Amino acid sequence: MPAMDEQPLEANDKWLDAYNDRVASLYTFTQCMTLSDIQADGDYKLIIADLGTGSYDMKLKVYKNTNLMSEHTIIDLPTGVVTFYMDTLEPRTPAIAVASGPYIYVYKNLRPYFKFTLPPLDIHPVEQDLWDQAKMDQVNPLVMRETLENLRMEGSVLTVRSLRMLQLDASDLDPFVQVHKASALKRQTVITCLGTLKKSLADDDAISCLVLGTENKAIYILDPEAFTVLATMELPSVPVFLSVNGLFDVEYRIVTSCRNGCVYTLKRGASEGVVKHCIELKSQPVGMERINKNIYVGTMDQMLHCFTAKGKKLWTVKMPSTIMTLEAIDFKPKGFKAVAVALANRQVQLYKEKYLVDVIHTEDVVTGLRFGRFAREEGTMVMTTKSGSLFVKILKRSAKFEERDLAAGPPSAQNVKLNVPKKTKLFVDQTLRERENAVSMHRTFQRDLYLLRLNVAREYAKALDNSMNPISSDPTEPLKLSAQIQGIGPTFKLTVNLQNTSLTQASSNLFITFEFDDRLYSFRKKFIQVPMLVPGLNYIFDTFIDCQNDKGVSDNVKVFVLKQGKSVPLITGVISMPVAETVIMS
Amino acid sequence: MGFFDTLAQWLGVKKREVNVLVVGLDNSGKTTIINHFKPHDSKNHDIVPTVGFNVERFTSKALAFTAFDMSGQGRYRNLWEHYYRECHGVIFVIDSSDKLRMVVAKDELDLLLQHSDLKNRRIPILFFANKMDLRESVSSVKCSSLMGLDQIRDKPWHICASNAVTGEGLSEGVDWLTDQIKDLIESKKK
Ligand SMILES: Nc1nc2c(ncn2[C@@H]2O[C@H](COP(=O)(O)OP(=O)(O)O)[C@@H](O)[C@H]2O)c(=O)[nH]1
Ligand SMILES: [Mg+2]
Repeated sequence: MPAMDEQPLEANDKWLDAYNDRVASLYTFTQCMTLSDIQADGDYKLIIADLGTGSYDMKLKVYKNTNLMSEHTIIDLPTGVVTFYMDTLEPRTPAIAVASGPYIYVYKNLRPYFKFTLPPLDIHPVEQDLWDQAKMDQVNPLVMRETLENLRMEGSVLTVRSLRMLQLDASDLDPFVQVHKASALKRQTVITCLGTLKKSLADDDAISCLVLGTENKAIYILDPEAFTVLATMELPSVPVFLSVNGLFDVEYRIVTSCRNGCVYTLKRGASEGVVKHCIELKSQPVGMERINKNIYVGTMDQMLHCFTAKGKKLWTVKMPSTIMTLEAIDFKPKGFKAVAVALANRQVQLYKEKYLVDVIHTEDVVTGLRFGRFAREEGTMVMTTKSGSLFVKILKRSAKFEERDLAAGPPSAQNVKLNVPKKTKLFVDQTLRERENAVSMHRTFQRDLYLLRLNVAREYAKALDNSMNPISSDPTEPLKLSAQIQGIGPTFKLTVNLQNTSLTQASSNLFITFEFDDRLYSFRKKFIQVPMLVPGLNYIFDTFIDCQNDKGVSDNVKVFVLKQGKSVPLITGVISMPVAETVIMS
Repeated sequence: MGFFDTLAQWLGVKKREVNVLVVGLDNSGKTTIINHFKPHDSKNHDIVPTVGFNVERFTSKALAFTAFDMSGQGRYRNLWEHYYRECHGVIFVIDSSDKLRMVVAKDELDLLLQHSDLKNRRIPILFFANKMDLRESVSSVKCSSLMGLDQIRDKPWHICASNAVTGEGLSEGVDWLTDQIKDLIESKKK
């Protein structure tokens, strides 16, 4: 029964939910689904070979839009469905081919058209002999069974009839032989996979041959008009997936993954079983697709492999869950190519090369997956699930696939191009000028640099000579001076801070004096005797200054720290006096 | 005589011109509908579904019609979007028998409603749930719920079931649109 739970699924910004049918009761696989314009009306149909219950009720179902438009009963389990153009008639309606048992059923215009039967295989002469004798009742069924059993043990491949006989109880043997002995003995194989190969033209609607892989380790190519076998190729194992490209009449390549876990490449003219390349997988293939020239194979050990056409392995990515099926996505309007991987964890993951670019969450495990044109929509993903649901999603017009891996890697911001402003004409001119006059510019720069250094050195020497800096340069008298002016005038207070910056050595025999314009200022103390300066402490001295002028003039005043017996001051501080406010004299 | 004759006459008196956009997915029936609006003598009789970018335009008296397909992967999008700015009314045609693409039509409608040239304008939108004669078609009520029309709050809208081949249902919609456009023009004048 289909699952009816309607749990909300994570919203996907790339896919529109076009259709959900949870009671479609479809039992099918990717190989048994296809999308095709079988009525040549631009309205693509979804064609599904339904395995029914797995033993009966097998049907070929055709969906037009969301409606089931036709159903045909199929006798045996289907193993593949393709559509192909088998003639050049107008309108161009492709035929449907369904592989089932040893037969290919061909439908045209949704009506049964032709049934192709695989050519019979050689029968072991002993087996043939036995049945010939049985026909004339010349052999005891028990003896016959024993001989057949021995043949089987030797490794000979028997007919279905003989195999059936081996399963019977002794009492049923005679009736079985009586029923079957009259009809001719035939050994037949069954079809395991189905593909198409364009015959002589590469057009979209060119006539195609059918390519079939069979249980007896062979590949057959069928003529689309006469349904004769055009080519037979033998393989070391049973083919399960086919990927065919090229033209039958010119050059073609058939890549097939087999039940022995190997991928073989066959080329035109390989009828003698010439296998060109062989890729050995470590596990059984569960899906195979070709994108551009690379072959993508999903294996039972949760691995997705990518190989070149020559069989060189490019990469392998581990999937988070068991792979159910693969489908190639080739979305031409956007030039988007990827491989969709349906997983047992109810996800369909899209890989562009080896990078995960999208994850579709589904309600159920997807077992059948087709991407292509359905109805009138180009980017449609059709999914059938384990419980028989049918889901259709449509790629949004606004969908964008990031080029990077969703799983890991640098943030996308890293790939954003910065909006770097264009080069201005000024910039270009400047660059040219620099390139042409590099030598002279360098020389000018060097000259200016030397001049700058010279000036600095000169000023420094001068400052040292005059002790024109507030920190003493005399190593024996390390002093720091700072001075502030307070007040708005005409009387100011000058505060002088003196600090002995040496760690251990005290300074003594110091005094402070000033240099000023005596027409402008009068100092109340012109000479300050400094006590011994203990290292590290800050000493404050002050004096009042009266401004003698009310014309708004001001001048610099210098503070000297002197040492007894030395003519050059230890430190000099220059104070620029503020303009004095005029006093309203009473 | 065309369906929009009363509007055309009224516009003639007012000396105004009106642009109507006819949009929808390809194969929804736009060309067929437009043919009903055209004067009889200039009607196209064999209609082929529009593929790719195909703008159809015709003017009749004071009315201009522009139709285009909203299909394709946005390659032509900027070409059609420039018609949004000058339009006075939109006719959105839905193929009510194409259930699979209803969600695509809705996606397109959402993009249209969010477009900067239409977002803040109270232009009327007429929906035709077309192909009502087909067996697989859904009712206009179902159509409006699938399209989420009840979410449109800032624009007058109306939906009618139609059969563009016979013309059934077209006049009802057109009458509504005519009234809306008249209202819009009258209210702008104030
Ligand atoms: N049965 C039916 N067919 C219609 C209707 N409207 C349009 N068609 C057909 O639908 C197809 C596409 O119509 P068309 O006007 O070309 O669609 P466009 O692509 O939107 O311009 C044509 O074959 C029309 O005859 C309708 O109401 N009912
Ligand atoms: Mg058209």
